[in-house]
Amino acid sequence: MAAAKERVVGAAPAGYTALAVKFGERQRSPHYLLVKEHQVREGAGTTHPSRRTLFVLNVPPYCSPDSLSRLFSRCGNVQSVDVCEKPGPVEKKEKLKSKFFNRKTVTGFHVAYVVFRKPSGVQAAKALSQEGPLLISTETHPVKTGISKWIASYAASVVDQEELKAEVDAYMQDYDKKIAEEEAKAAKEEGVPDEEGWVKVTRKGRKPGLPRTEAANLRVLEKEKQKRARKELLNFYAWQHRETKREHIAQLRKKFEEDKQRIALMRAQRKFRPY
Amino acid sequence: PPSADASGPSSSLQPAKLSRAELYKPPTSEELSQLKETEDLFHSSLLRLQIEELLKEVTLKETKKKKIDAFLHEINTLLSAIPETPETELTDQTWLPKGVKVPFLQVPFSVKGRFRFVPPAELKVVGSYLLGTCIKPEINVDVAVTMPQEIFQDKDNLNQRYHRKRALYLAHIAQHFSKEKLFGSVKFAYMNSNHLKPILLLRPQGKDEKMVTVRIHACPAPGLFKPSRFYPNKNNVRTAWFMEQNTPKEGRPPTPHYNNSILCDTVLLSHLHFLSSAATDFPGMKDGLALLKVWLNQRQLSKGLGCFSGFLVSMLVAYLLMKRKIVRMMSGYQVLRSTLQFLATTDLSVTGISLAKDVDSSLPVLDDFHQAFEVVFVDPSGLVNLCADMTASKYQQVQFEAKRSMEILDDWMVDGFQALLMTSKPMLRAFDHVFHLKHVSKLQSTCKKMQLLNELMDRGGNYVAAALPFVVSLLGRGLAGRALLVAHSLPQIPEWPIDAEPPKHKDVGSLTFGLLFDPEFAASTLEKGPQADHPEALDFRTFWGEKSELRRFQDSSICEAVVWKADTICHKRLIPEQIVRHLLKLHADIPESSICYTGALLESVIRTGQEASGTGEEAMVSVICSYDDLSRKLWNLKELPLTVTAVQGVHPALRYTDVFPPIPMKPIYSSHTRMRIKNLLLPSEEKPCPAYIAPLKIICHMEGSGQWPQDKEAIKRIKAAFHLQLAELLHQQHQLVCRPAVTHTDVYKDGYVFRLQVAYHREPLILKEVVTPEGMLKYQDTEESRQLELEILHLPYLTSSLHGLQQQHPVFGSTCRLAKRWVSAQLLSDSISEECVDLLVAFLFLHPAPFTPPSSPQVGFLRFLDLLATFDWKNNPLIVNLNTGLTGEQAIKNKFVAARARLPVMFIATPKDQWSSMWTQDRPSAQVKTSLISLAHLCPILSSTGLFFLQMVFRPPLDFYDVLIHLNPNQIPRHLESVDRPLKSFSRGVVKNSTSVKILFPVVDYDPVQCYLQELRDAFSDLALFFYDKHGGEVIAVLWKPLSFQPQPFKVSNMKGRMVTTLNNELVCVPNVEAILEDFEVLGEGLVKSVEARTEKWTI
Repeated sequence: MAAAKERVVGAAPAGYTALAVKFGERQRSPHYLLVKEHQVREGAGTTHPSRRTLFVLNVPPYCSPDSLSRLFSRCGNVQSVDVCEKPGPVEKKEKLKSKFFNRKTVTGFHVAYVVFRKPSGVQAAKALSQEGPLLISTETHPVKTGISKWIASYAASVVDQEELKAEVDAYMQDYDKKIAEEEAKAAKEEGVPDEEGWVKVTRKGRKPGLPRTEAANLRVLEKEKQKRARKELLNFYAWQHRETKREHIAQLRKKFEEDKQRIALMRAQRKFRPY
Repeated sequence: PPSADASGPSSSLQPAKLSRAELYKPPTSEELSQLKETEDLFHSSLLRLQIEELLKEVTLKETKKKKIDAFLHEINTLLSAIPETPETELTDQTWLPKGVKVPFLQVPFSVKGRFRFVPPAELKVVGSYLLGTCIKPEINVDVAVTMPQEIFQDKDNLNQRYHRKRALYLAHIAQHFSKEKLFGSVKFAYMNSNHLKPILLLRPQGKDEKMVTVRIHACPAPGLFKPSRFYPNKNNVRTAWFMEQNTPKEGRPPTPHYNNSILCDTVLLSHLHFLSSAATDFPGMKDGLALLKVWLNQRQLSKGLGCFSGFLVSMLVAYLLMKRKIVRMMSGYQVLRSTLQFLATTDLSVTGISLAKDVDSSLPVLDDFHQAFEVVFVDPSGLVNLCADMTASKYQQVQFEAKRSMEILDDWMVDGFQALLMTSKPMLRAFDHVFHLKHVSKLQSTCKKMQLLNELMDRGGNYVAAALPFVVSLLGRGLAGRALLVAHSLPQIPEWPIDAEPPKHKDVGSLTFGLLFDPEFAASTLEKGPQADHPEALDFRTFWGEKSELRRFQDSSICEAVVWKADTICHKRLIPEQIVRHLLKLHADIPESSICYTGALLESVIRTGQEASGTGEEAMVSVICSYDDLSRKLWNLKELPLTVTAVQGVHPALRYTDVFPPIPMKPIYSSHTRMRIKNLLLPSEEKPCPAYIAPLKIICHMEGSGQWPQDKEAIKRIKAAFHLQLAELLHQQHQLVCRPAVTHTDVYKDGYVFRLQVAYHREPLILKEVVTPEGMLKYQDTEESRQLELEILHLPYLTSSLHGLQQQHPVFGSTCRLAKRWVSAQLLSDSISEECVDLLVAFLFLHPAPFTPPSSPQVGFLRFLDLLATFDWKNNPLIVNLNTGLTGEQAIKNKFVAARARLPVMFIATPKDQWSSMWTQDRPSAQVKTSLISLAHLCPILSSTGLFFLQMVFRPPLDFYDVLIHLNPNQIPRHLESVDRPLKSFSRGVVKNSTSVKILFPVVDYDPVQCYLQELRDAFSDLALFFYDKHGGEVIAVLWKPLSFQPQPFKVSNMKGRMVTTLNNELVCVPNVEAILEDFEVLGEGLVKSVEARTEKWTI
C-alpha cells in the first residue's frame, strides 16, 4: 500500500486548505478536512452568504454539526452549521419540521457549510491548518460512539404517544381544512364558464366525464380492438387459410432456428458430456 | 474459481433472427416432414437436437476405431506366439515367474487337477465394440480367448478347478504381455467385480493409453461341458472340499451362481451373434443403446457386482424386439422410451423373462430360475441367467428410476433431456437418508448369524455378495411402509497390477445404503403388529426382538407393537436410523460402531438453544399458533373506525423458514436500564447486550373507505394514528403490552414480539401518481412505491405460498433454514435476499426432476448446493412454479433471452412475478453470485469423500479478506447461534417464559453489530465491502475495493474518507487508510475488540 511511499501530509488542491482532525487524543492518524470560502456564481442565497460561509469537505461520520460549531467557535462566532450528503444548492429549509415524519439524517462522510457572524471567522478557520489536529471528542465535550451511541438512539426511537397524537391531529385538521376549501372552490366553479366560455367537466356534477388517466385510455383502446376483432372473419377466405398455414410454418422455423442456436451455444460450453 | 457459465460476450444467448424472406419461403416436403416429426415425437426440436449432439459426443470416432483395430491385430499375433508350458499340478504354481500373481483368491488352496498353458485356439472380439454401441468415456473392447481342449480334464466343473485354470491361463498371458512394449499397462480386474471372473486389461502405449481398454476373457472350448451339469439346481462345489474336511458330507446344496459363472463363458460368442442379428437393419438400436447406457451411467447402475450393465440392456432391447414391443423402424429416442416403459411396468424379480425360443423340455423352466436367483432374465440358450448377481432391491431401483423417467418424459414442463441424461444421481443426493457400512468384514459374522454357508459356497466365499441380498431384504421388511426404496451401492473392486495379490472381499471399501422415504409414514413412532393371539404374532416378535411389546389400542384390540422413542420432529425423522441399527444388530450381528448413519449430521447447525432439544420445528409451530390468535384478536377488535380486512404475516418464521425461530422470552429487569414513564426497558451499558428479540412483522390491511385521504403525506399521518389506536385498543381489550411507533406498533404476546404495520391498499398507487403536462393521470413506479408494494403485496403472498408448500413437504422449512444458515455462514447473508434463497429451495421441491422431492433436510441442502453450483444463470431463468400458477413458461424464456443484459444476474420467475424477478433485483451482485457458485462448488468435493466433514462446509474461508474486525462476544446478541457453539456464554438478561402479562416492554430488534455494520456501510461503502455472519459471527470481514484505491484526481464529490497527496508532482486523492482503520475502532466503541489489518495481502 501507499503507506510506504513518501507523502506530503496536509496537501490541498488549489483554493482549499487542509485541516487535520482527529476523533480524540488516542488516535494517531488524522483525517483531513478541506475547507474553503463558500462561493456561488449567481448571487449567494441568504442561508449561506458568500463571504461569511466556510465550505467544509470530508467531514467524518462522528462529527456532528454541534461538534463542528464547537471546533470553529474559536475562530469567531458561529451563526449556523448545515450538513448535507453532497455539495449543492441547499433546498429551502422546510418551514415546519416534524419531529416524527420525514426525518432524514446525514450519515457517513459528508460536507458542511459553517456560517460565521463575521467574514473574519472564515479567514481564521483557514489559518487553523498551522496548528495541531483538531479534536472532535474531548473530555469536556465527549462524543458518543459505538455502544453508548446505539443505546442512546434506541432510547430516542421510543416515541411519546401523546406528542405524536397531538402532531397527527394538528396535521390532519390542517389537511381537512385544505381539502374542504378546495372542494368548496371546485363546487363554486362547477358549470360556470370561464372568460372564454369554456366549461370545465369534472368527475363530479351531473354529467361526469371520463377520468383522464392512462388506465382509462387503455381500457377504451382495448374495447375498440375487441369490437373490431368481433367483426373480422377468420379463416374465411382461402388466402386467410393459406396465410395461417404459412404463419404456422414460419413459427416452427423460427423455433427451430432458436433451438439450433441454443444447441450451438451449449456445445461450445461442453454441455453434452454426460461424464 | 470454477464457474458454471463460460465467460466472454459470445457465450450468452441472442434472440434468433431470421429474415422475412427466410421465414416465409415455401417449404420443401423434406423440411415439412421433419418439422412435423419433431412436433409430434419430441416436445420440441430442442430435445431432438440435444439428443443428436449427445450421441455425437459419446460415440467413437472413425479414426480412433482404426487405431483400435490395429492394436487388436497386434494383440492377436502376440497371443499366438506365447510358448507352451509343461503340465503341472494346479497347486504347483512355481513355474509362474515372480512378476505375476495368480488373479484369484485360492481359498481353500488345495484342489485337484493339472494345468499346462497351450496358446489359444481362437481369439474373437465380442460385445459392444463390434456392435458399435460402446460409448465414451470408457471404451472397452472385449476379447474372448478360447482355451484349447487339451488343458482340461474330467470334472473340471467341480470345486473352482475351471476357474483356477482360467486364472492361471490369464496369469501366463499377462506375464508375457507385461514385457511387450506395445502395452502402456497390463493389469488384472474382476469382471463386474465378480471375483470368480478375473480378466486381463490391456491398454496401448503412449498418449492413446486412455483411449481404449482391451479386456481379455478366457473361455472354454465349445462343447467342453455338458450343459445339464449347470442347471440352477445342480451342485458343483462340494461342502467337504470347501470346508476342508476329509469326510464327505451328506447333501449337495445347489450352487446356481457358481454354475452361472461358468455358463457365461460358454455363451460369449453366441450372444454376440444373437445381438448382431438383432442390430441388423436397425439403426435406431445403436442410438437407443447409447442413450440407455448414458441413462444407466448417470444413475450409477452400470458398474459393480450385480450391475445393470450395458450388455444386459442390449439383451433387453433384443428381447423387446423379439416380442415386437420395439420395431426396427424406431429411432433411438423411441427405443429409449419403449425400454424404459417396459422396465417401469415389469418386475423381473417376480415374473422373469426368457430369450430362449424353442421350448426344450429338458431345459430348466423359469420357476427353477426364480428359486435360485432374485432377478431372472434367461439368455437365448435357456441356460444362463443374465441377472444372476443382481439383487431384487437393485432391480427395484432400476424400475423406480424407469418409472420416474417416464413421468419426466411425459411432463411438458420439465427439460427431459437434462433430467434424464445429463444429471448424475449420486446416492448422497438421490436418497433421503444414507448410511455406510464401514467395515464390510463384519458381514462375515452376518453370514454366520444368518447361516449362509450354502450361499457362501455358491459365491466362492464372497461374504459381501452372499450376505447383501439378505441384509437388504431385512431392512426392506423393517422399513416397509416408511421407505419407498431401500437401495444399496454396488460392491466395486478396482483393477490391480499383475504383480500384486488379488484384492480380498473386504477391499470393496464401505458399502452404502440409501433410503427413500414416504414422507407421510417415515416418521411414525408406532409399528403396529398382529393381534397377540394370532399365529403371526410370534413371527413379529422374533423379527423385532425385545422392542416388541403387547399394547392395547383404542379399538380395544391387543396387539404386538413396537414404539420408537422420539420427542421432537428432528428425532422422529431419525426413527429409521433406530430401526436400521436395531435390526442390523439383532439379525445381522453388525455392531452400531460399524454403521455410519448420515441422516441428520448437519442439523446441529440449526438447533436452537444450548441443549439438544430439537431443530426448531416445534418452536415454529408455537409462533404460528400465537400469530393466529393475534390475528383473530385483530379482526374482532372493537371501536376501530375502520375494520381490519386481512392480517398477513411477512416474517420468515411465519413461513417456517426462519433460521432460528424466536423463542418465548421474558426480560430480567436487573440487567436492563428501566424507563419507567414509558413502561419499557433499555439496554444497559454495563451489562452484556440483551438477547436479540426479533420483531415478527405482520401486515394489517385496513378496509378501504372514502375516509382515507388521497395524499401520501396525510396517509402517513393516518397510519401513525392507527398504530397508536391499535396499541391502545389491544391493551384495553386484551391486556397486551404494546409499544407504538410512527411506522408500526410492537405487541408483546406469549413471549413473542409482533410488529404490526397498517396498510392501505391504494397507497402504492397514490405514490405512483404522476400528472403529465396534458393533465393526464399516469402511474409510474418509484423507489418508494416499489418498496411498499414489495412489503404489503408481494411478501405476504410469497409468505402464504411458502406456508402452503410447507404443508405439502414437511421438510421444506428445515431445508430452507439449512440453506440460509450456509449462506450466512459464508458471510453472504447481507448480499443475497432471504426470499431469494427461499425461492431457490422451493424450486428444489417443486421441480425435483430427476429426483423426488427431498424428504430430509440434509438431502435437500445437498441439492441446494448442487443447484447453485450447476445452474446456468447466464442463459436460463429459474422458473419456480408456485401453486402451479404458470402455463406460459416458454414465453418467459423467450423474453428472458431478448432482455438478458438488462435483467438481474440471478433471474427468478414466479407466477406472480414473471418479468421483474423482484427478489433478486438489487442483490446479489455479479461478484457475489460468482463467489456463491465457487463456494458451492467446493462442497461436493467434501461430501464425496464422506459426509464426516460436512460441518466444515459451514466454516467460511477467511483468507482472502483484507481486514478482519474482531468483535467482543458479550456485545453480540446472537452469539449462541454460531456454528461452533461458544463454550462460555453470557447472561443475556432474558428467561424463557411466555406467561407474563404485566411487564415492562423488552428490548426489541436491538443488535449492536447490525448498527455498527450500518454505520460502516454508510461511511465506507465507496471504499470497501463488509461481510458478516449475522448468526453470531465474531468477525466482520472487510474487502477493499481495488478500483477505489487507485489514486484519482481531486473531485469535490469524491472526497469521502480520502486525503490529498502528491504523486509524481501531481495532486491526487487516495484513501486515508490509517485513519479509516482507526475509524473502525472509533465507530464501534465497546463492540470492537481489535482490528486486524492484513497488510501483507494488500497489493493496491
